[in-house]
Formats: sequence, structure tokens, C-alpha cells
Amino acid sequence: MLNRNIQPPVNPIEHIDMVKAEKRLLSNGIPVYFVNAGSQDVVKIDFIFEAGTWFQEANLVASLCNSMLEEGSVNYSAADIGEKFDFYGAYIQLTADQNYGYFNIISLGKHLKTILEITENLIKHSVFPQYELEVLIDKNKQKFLLENEKVKTLCQKKFTQVMFGESHPYAITNKLEDFDQINREMLLQFYQSYYHSGNCRIIAAGQIDESVLALLETHFGGSDWQGNSINAPKYEISPDPQKFHHVEKTNGIQSAVRMGKFWVPKNHPDYHALAVLITIFGGYFGSRLMTNIREEKGYTYGIGSYVLSLKHVSYLIITTEVGNEYIEPTLKEITMEMKRLQTELVSENELETVKSYLLGEFLRDFDGPFALAGSFKAINDFGLDYSFYDDSLRVLRNITSEKIMQLAQQYLNSEDFYTVVAGSK
Amino acid sequence: MIHFERTKLANGLTVIVHQDKTTPMVAIDVCYNVGSRDEHPDRTGFAHLFEHLMFGGSKHIPLYDEPLQKAGGDNNAFTSNDLTNYYLTLPKNNIETGFWLESDRMLELAFSKSSLDVQRNVVIEEFKQRNLNQPYGDVWALLRQLAYKVHPYQWPTIGREISHIEKATMQQVKDFFYAHYAPDNAVLVVAGDVDFDKVLTLANRWFGHIPNRAVKQRAIPQEPEQTEIREQSVVRDVPNDTIYMAYHMADRLDPMYYATDLISDVLSNGNSSRMYQNLVQKEKLFTELDAYLSGDNDPGLFVVSGKPSNGISLETARRAIERELDRMKQERVSEYELEKVKNKVEANIEYSEMNYLNKAMNLATNEILNDAGLINSQVDFYRSVTTAQIQEVAQHLFRHGNCSVLNYIAKKSEHVES
Repeated sequence: MLNRNIQPPVNPIEHIDMVKAEKRLLSNGIPVYFVNAGSQDVVKIDFIFEAGTWFQEANLVASLCNSMLEEGSVNYSAADIGEKFDFYGAYIQLTADQNYGYFNIISLGKHLKTILEITENLIKHSVFPQYELEVLIDKNKQKFLLENEKVKTLCQKKFTQVMFGESHPYAITNKLEDFDQINREMLLQFYQSYYHSGNCRIIAAGQIDESVLALLETHFGGSDWQGNSINAPKYEISPDPQKFHHVEKTNGIQSAVRMGKFWVPKNHPDYHALAVLITIFGGYFGSRLMTNIREEKGYTYGIGSYVLSLKHVSYLIITTEVGNEYIEPTLKEITMEMKRLQTELVSENELETVKSYLLGEFLRDFDGPFALAGSFKAINDFGLDYSFYDDSLRVLRNITSEKIMQLAQQYLNSEDFYTVVAGSK
Repeated sequence: MIHFERTKLANGLTVIVHQDKTTPMVAIDVCYNVGSRDEHPDRTGFAHLFEHLMFGGSKHIPLYDEPLQKAGGDNNAFTSNDLTNYYLTLPKNNIETGFWLESDRMLELAFSKSSLDVQRNVVIEEFKQRNLNQPYGDVWALLRQLAYKVHPYQWPTIGREISHIEKATMQQVKDFFYAHYAPDNAVLVVAGDVDFDKVLTLANRWFGHIPNRAVKQRAIPQEPEQTEIREQSVVRDVPNDTIYMAYHMADRLDPMYYATDLISDVLSNGNSSRMYQNLVQKEKLFTELDAYLSGDNDPGLFVVSGKPSNGISLETARRAIERELDRMKQERVSEYELEKVKNKVEANIEYSEMNYLNKAMNLATNEILNDAGLINSQVDFYRSVTTAQIQEVAQHLFRHGNCSVLNYIAKKSEHVES
């Protein structure tokens, strides 16, 4: 007889098949890391340059320089580039973050040869046409104005300024006037300094065989695009002495909240155990924050906590958007949940739930070529190797409630947190 | 090409299995043939509110999420105008937990009062977060109301107004459940490293004895042909004026659907598309300009939306859009141009088939539409569209009187910079 009252037996996840990235060097020294996996004839290749906002001398330079890479090269106009990529059903994804500038392509394997030929010209011989630059700046201005209407954007900006100090590159300080200060020469100079073979690594995923590696050697392995190595600038963090900040946004009916503090880097001995703590706190649907503030109180559609590891700094952040009338009680409940983790042991049941959930996530992080490449990048960015994941698994399987409580006492003290609320008072 | 096997249990539940041995995971997707188009006009937002309640405990299982997480699982759900889709992923040796959870909430919900009280509030905050407190957040509500006078597509999935959600009662919840949540109104798709026989055994064990609820065929009032252009202007606190033009288009099963989709690609998919090249890059009339389909099963909307550049009026913007649409009516697209958008569609289908969960969802939503097998014939449908058909469909689609225009005007005020 079927018993619906009890859960069918659950099998623990014993084995996780971590397909690891392999490494090759192109003749000019560019490291190529590749994951050969997947059943579809699809290839994703990421060209990663040390060309993030960390290196820019004025706001917007890193991101606009990056965006301009598909706006014209010696052999292809912006229109040609669009035409070719669309015809072959391939995509260019351009992004720049705090540390890196990315030129990523996704293509069917059968068209990769053509796509890489074009990509070579775009990366090595970008021309930054003035007309396209003006169009791009106008587009980005409008996007900027739109983003600035959102309480979550206002909140995140202020939060990074408070944490890092306004002159630190991890602080977002873009202003509308910045767009008028940008000129072609600034972008060209940034491009020449940072987009070259000495500043590049490649991560490739999908059906990667010797022929793909040979194509990469042909198009990117030569000595024709070496630049000069540039010493990365150094910046000091200078946090705001005041811990609580409000950003006024009139007429809003919800406010955005960001609460956070500096966190340990990925190579710190407590990192993996803390990841379990933060999952319990606010890292999954059944977390303390979600259960209390969404599922019991109904103050918000969603609330979560997560760790952002950047190259030079890591921080923990709690994010939510709540009705204006729920701000005070929400902040109070967040603090209360920290206190509870410091003073009450997490039950066996809850700890087992979180462990199983995280093991499932582990499987997902190593499932499929793109996930595999992402998991590799998450260690490669920090100079770590796959033992990072072995450690993580070992800690996850052995962690106790006592350890969680001890870490909460050490790391989750509400007086260490910076709080920013954006909305109408 | 996605291989799948399909059968129907005695109680009317359709079961579809797709084997993908490259993943250690399994996706279980349960899709119910109920969406916001099945709502009463005075109780809009109900299908979506109901989706939230489906996580508030079922007859024998007080908590949905915790046992799933214990099995290494993860889940989510979404509601559209046409359907409500619940999906989860699990390590392959724990799939029975998924069958247990999904079958129990198909059998009967706990109908807990506290869950209803809290989820009403959560959905109201979601309403605010997505629609009321976002710039341009009410566009779809306005556009639907303008374009549809009869069909329930006239309200958005989140609901027409917050008061409808506030007023939801437990009796209405129960009625909705028994009217729509039933094996004979649902599809179960399992995709991953599983075989058909095992899935069938589990499906029979857990779902087999849920009673058939003789769900009635829906009778939805269909929208009469629009013969006169409609126009509405609103002033909002947003940074830029925006224009939206919506045209009634063919339903999802009409052969014209594929040509319509390709028209939107010719106009705005990718940097080489016509509207982007001509109106954004060359003439600099817009900073953003898109053409897309609402993606509904019944006759939906073909929408063009654009943000004019600084100093360009909404009138100039509208004339420019109409010029491009007229060109679609007057001249055939070139063979090359059509080939290009078809290539892109085909590549996108290939990309979407990389992921087992994606495949499960596509099988489920296509089966609800009509037939899961559509996912394997769609490439041929797109490939067979001719340049003459593109022109013919454009002439029908962009006919005078078939258009609803929404002028979304920015209130001029100082912006707070930071």
C-alpha cells in the first residue's frame, strides 16, 4: 500500500563527476583552458582580458571600450559584423566587470572557422569609429537614466560607495555627465593597453577537439598582437564611518535594501564552512530569511544573502525589496535571524536539508559544458585549482551545528554591517 | 531532434519521457492547462496566486520544499496567460521524491488559511516590485487593455489590480483547484538519464489513482477583428518617451505564425536587422527599437516598441516605424535575408536543446498547446516559409485598423542623480 505520508527513500549523493578543464598554451603564451563536453554541435569561447573598471582612468572607459569591439574593425564595419554573426546564427557577448573585459562567442561548431576568422579581426584590429561611438553613448545614456529610476540600482550604487569609498574602482559612481567626457582617444588608448595577447586567457567549452584548438592557434597564437605589460594600479578601500544610509527616491511604494560586510576570500580556511552558514541564513528558498520574511510575514517577494568574491575583496550582501511600510520590521527581523544563528544550534534536520541541497547544487555546477566552464572560471580567476572543490565537498559533508554557531558568532555580528535603504521615507 | 515517448494513464494524465544520458540529473515538469485566460474578469491574477499556494503544503505533505531539498532537488514555477508550469530537477537516483511531491499536490492541496494569508501578501509585493514600482512597469497592462476588448488576454497574468488578489477567498481557491488541477488537464514530462519503463511504473504508482476530474473544455470568447486604429497616451514619471504599437496576429497553431515570427526577426533580431540598421544606426531616430511576439497560444500581439532619441517626437518615431512596416508589405524580402533569419532560428533551437530542463519544459508546453512533437517539426515549418508568404502575412498583419498605439510620455521633472 502506498504511504503518502512519508518521503520515498533518499539516496545520498556519493559521486560527483567533475570533468576538469584541460590546459594548452598557444605559441605566444596565451593559456587555453578547455572543457570537451556536451551532445550538441555548439562551442562557446571566452576571451578574457584584464581590462575591467579597475584599470580605467575615468568612469565608463572599460565598459564602452569593450562594447565598441563589435562596432568596427579594419576588415569589417559594424554592419558587416552584425550581418555575418546573424547569418551564421552566432552571438558575441561583450561585458566588462570590475576586473575583466570579456569577448565571448557562441557558435555552432560547423561555422566556427568563419566566426573565428572574423573574431580575430575584431579583437586585434578594432577601429573605434566615431559615428558608432556616438550612437552607443546615446543608447547608454538612456539606459543609465532608466536604471537610475530603479530603487535597487540606487541602493546598490550607494552601497558600493559606502563600502569601498567613492574613489575605489569597486564603487559604482557613474554619473550622466561622465558620458560627455568620453572620447574616442580614451577608448583607443585603453584598448591598446589592455586588449592584447599578453593580457589574455581563453576558456572554451562544448565540442572542443584538436581542430578547434588548431583554429585558436592559427588566429590567436601569433606574436602579432603582443602589448606591453602594465602594472595594475593599487587602490585602498576607505569605508564610510557611518553604517546606515538612506537614498531618497520620491513616489516609490517599495524600498530596496542592501546590507553587507567584508568577507573572507576564497582561499581562507573558513570560506567553505561559511558558505554553508550563508546558505542557511539566506542562500536558498528554505533559508531563514526567506522563511521568516517572505513565507511567514509576507513582507517581500524575495530576500537573499550571498557572497560576492571579487579579485581583491569579498563581501557578504543581503538584498531585498519591500513595501515602504515593512522596512523597519524587515531590518529588525534580519538582525534577529543573525542573533538566532549565534545563539541557537541549527537542528540536525535543517543542517541535513542544507547539505543535501548544496550537494545537488554541486552536481548542477558540474553538469553540461557551460556549467563546467563556469566552475572552472570560478577557481581560475583566483589562481586556485580543483582541490578547492574537493575541500568544499569535504567541509560540506563534515560540518556540524556547533561549527555553524561558532562561525555565526565570529562573522555575523550585526554591528559590522553597512545598511543602505533606497526609497521614499 | 528530440526523441521522446508518450502515453496516457487511465485517469487521463499524459506522460512524456525524454532520455538524455549526458546529465546526472532528471527534470520533472508538470504543466497544467490553466492560465490567466481562464480567470473571471473580477478575479484576475488568480491563476498566478494559485501557483504560489501550490507550495503551501498538500494533503499528505505539510512542506513542499524541504523534502525536495533533502533529495538534492531544486524547483520553480511560472504562470502565463495560457498555462501554469511547475518544474523541478533532482539527482537521478532520487527521482521518486519528485513523483511523490508532484502527485500529492495534484491529488489535493492542504488549503491552509495561513498560506493563503501570507501568499496574498507576497503576491501583492511581487505586483509592486514588478509592475508598480518599476519604470514602464504598467505597459503590458495598458497595452492589453487597449488591444483586447473581449478576450481575457486583456489583463496581465499578475492581475488587473491588487484588490482582486486581496479579495481572494478560500472557497474560490478550492473551486479553482477542482476545476483545473486534474490529471486530465495536465502533462507530466520526465527528462534526463531515465528510461521509459521506469518512469511509467513510477507514474502509475504515484499519479495513477488520482481521480479524473472531467475538466470542462474552456469556452473563451474570441476577440473580434479590430477595424479601427486605437490610440492611448499616458504620462508617467519615466526618463524617456516610448512608443508601443500592437497588431493582432495569428494563433500559435496557425501556419501564418511562423512567417509572423520571421517578420519580427527581419525587423529587429540582431544588429543586422532592418529597424536596427536603418532607424537606430543610420537615422539615429531611436536608441532602442524592438519587434516581438507576445507568444500566446490564442491569437496574440505583434508588438513594436521604441524609445526615440533625444529631440525626436513620438509622431516622427511612429512614422518611421510605419515606413519599415510598409516596406514589408510592399517589397518582398530578399532570399538572402530570409535565409539569414531562418539560420538564426535554427541555431537558437540547437542552443536550446543543450539543456535537459529546457527540453522538458518545451515538450510540456508544446503538448499543452497541441502536441509535444511540434518541437521536432518547427525547424521544417520555419524553413518552408517563402518570401511571398512573408509579404502576404505582412500585408494582413500590418493592415490599417489592426493597430493599437500606446504613447508613453515622460513627465518632465528633475531627476535625482547619484
